[in-house]
Amino acid sequence: MSAEPIVKLSAVNKTYFRGSESIPVLDGLDFEVPDGAFQALMGPSGSGKSTLLHLIAGLDRPTKGSVQVAGKELSKMSDAELAAFRANHIGFIFQSYNLLPVLTAQENVELPLLLTKLGRGERKTRAQTALRVVGLEERMGHYPRQLSGGQEQRVAIARAIVNDPQILVADEPTGDLDRKSADDVLELLGRLNTELKKTIVMVTHDPAAAERATVTRHLNKGALQ
Amino acid sequence: MVPIVYNLRSLAVRKTTTLATAGGVALVVFVFAAVLMLSEGVKRTLGRSGSDDIAIVLRDGSDAELSSGIEAPQIALITAPSEVKRRGGGAPDAAAEIVAVLSLDKVGTDGQSNAQIRGVPDDVMSFRPSVRLVAGRVPRPGADEAMIGNAIRGRFRGLDMGQSFEIRKNRNLTVVGVFEDGGSSYESEIWAGRDQVQSALGRGTVVSSVRVRLRSRDVFERYQRQLQSNRQLGVDVMRESDYYAKQSEGLSIFINALGILVAFFFSVGAVIGAMITMHASVANRSREIGTLRALGFKRWQILLCFLLESSILALVGGLLGAAASLSMALVRFPMVNFASWSEIVFTFEPTPGVIIASLVVAVLMGLVGGFLPAVRAARADVLSAIRA
Repeated sequence: MSAEPIVKLSAVNKTYFRGSESIPVLDGLDFEVPDGAFQALMGPSGSGKSTLLHLIAGLDRPTKGSVQVAGKELSKMSDAELAAFRANHIGFIFQSYNLLPVLTAQENVELPLLLTKLGRGERKTRAQTALRVVGLEERMGHYPRQLSGGQEQRVAIARAIVNDPQILVADEPTGDLDRKSADDVLELLGRLNTELKKTIVMVTHDPAAAERATVTRHLNKGALQ
Repeated sequence: MVPIVYNLRSLAVRKTTTLATAGGVALVVFVFAAVLMLSEGVKRTLGRSGSDDIAIVLRDGSDAELSSGIEAPQIALITAPSEVKRRGGGAPDAAAEIVAVLSLDKVGTDGQSNAQIRGVPDDVMSFRPSVRLVAGRVPRPGADEAMIGNAIRGRFRGLDMGQSFEIRKNRNLTVVGVFEDGGSSYESEIWAGRDQVQSALGRGTVVSSVRVRLRSRDVFERYQRQLQSNRQLGVDVMRESDYYAKQSEGLSIFINALGILVAFFFSVGAVIGAMITMHASVANRSREIGTLRALGFKRWQILLCFLLESSILALVGGLLGAAASLSMALVRFPMVNFASWSEIVFTFEPTPGVIIASLVVAVLMGLVGGFLPAVRAARADVLSAIRA
């Protein structure tokens, strides 16, 4: 594992505004994730862990400070540049899987590849490979409604890795799953980290999930503890 | 790009709203296509009556046969020039005809309507070889007989095989034949011997028009110049095709204006329907939109995705409407032609141009109706959308 930070946040402030009321969430946060790490972020609701994850993923911009991910400074990027950054560098794993219900498993996995210049045949091959990695190659023609929660989350993981991003961000990936399915998903994330060298940043409330990470960071009131 | 299969299946999942919205668009497209088909039908019906190598001669200042009058001695001068084609015996290939309007009882209603009667020369079938008898025979020269166009058959009392009608009080003509002419306006006319019509209507020897077949279409200008420069003749010369194009102009513009106005008001309803459907669809798919944005799809790609979806929705309606409008080809529609004030039976002509124009209108309705919902989808905040 390289010690170079692939994620580096320096003096980051994030404040939300509701009308005239300002709600500070992160206050001068410094945060680093080394390349190839598997880090869990824990903390109570409102501690800022999801906000931190969104900043790393390029879904949001800081109010102040610098967010460098994969060598890119995200804080000054336009919407379109952030979209391109997400497409090229980030794989998302959501709590509720967020698969498109009208697309099959394979079509869902192919979605990120539609933003590349790959031809149809290559996209299909890569989607099948990703599904094979998560053990769902035989379910590629199934729609999300035909899959269990655990299988849906594995399809979502296949979608997250299909374009070979450097970083996976997982927001409560086991939050909607039973223990058995959650363990399968966590084991899969562990394999992606160790075998495919993916850097993983995972927000979780589940101590069992956090145990699978190599490092667990705790946030409280917008600061690391 | 977001795959089109996403749009197609999203529409299929919402079958009821998709079909209801497409139905609204289909109705507009049906009306729009039917209007264009009727307008096309008017042009074709009158256009089929005209030929490029035939010149029609009317009294100077007359814009229609009905208002024209040419004295018998002038006929020989009109048919004399060398540009006029000759038949076997050297006689000019021409037809001097009288046209009038009869008010006859309509079948199936209590009212009356105008039907055009044409007094034709005995050899009219030689002059118009495209005319074909489909029943009976041609009237005998000098007899009080008539033949009628197939389109007018059975539409007026007395206008069917073996029946008779009054050309004037106490003078009846008996229908002895029915003819077709490839759907031209002649099929909406009654043809009788010129002498019978002239005498029955008290027109003496005056005719309404003289048609001459030219040796070729290229000699028309020379023939026209020659006749129009003779001030004593006082005639106006037109190509027969131009004459009928002019005859169809007023009616065609009227149909187009009325129909497009009706279609426009209908389309406002259909566009609002499409807009409501797409707004509901965008609201229901907020999380999907957020997911696509998170995966890296840009705002314009989301905009395009929903514009495409509303266009497909409208296109489905357009195809339904256009398909339904094809059934109008079976309908024969009687209308009073402003130029002759007599009833002509038109058909709805489904041309490829009409169908393409109808589908373009449908897609435009989809784009207009889908624009605001698509903008809303494209502008959605990623984080709020994912959490929806």
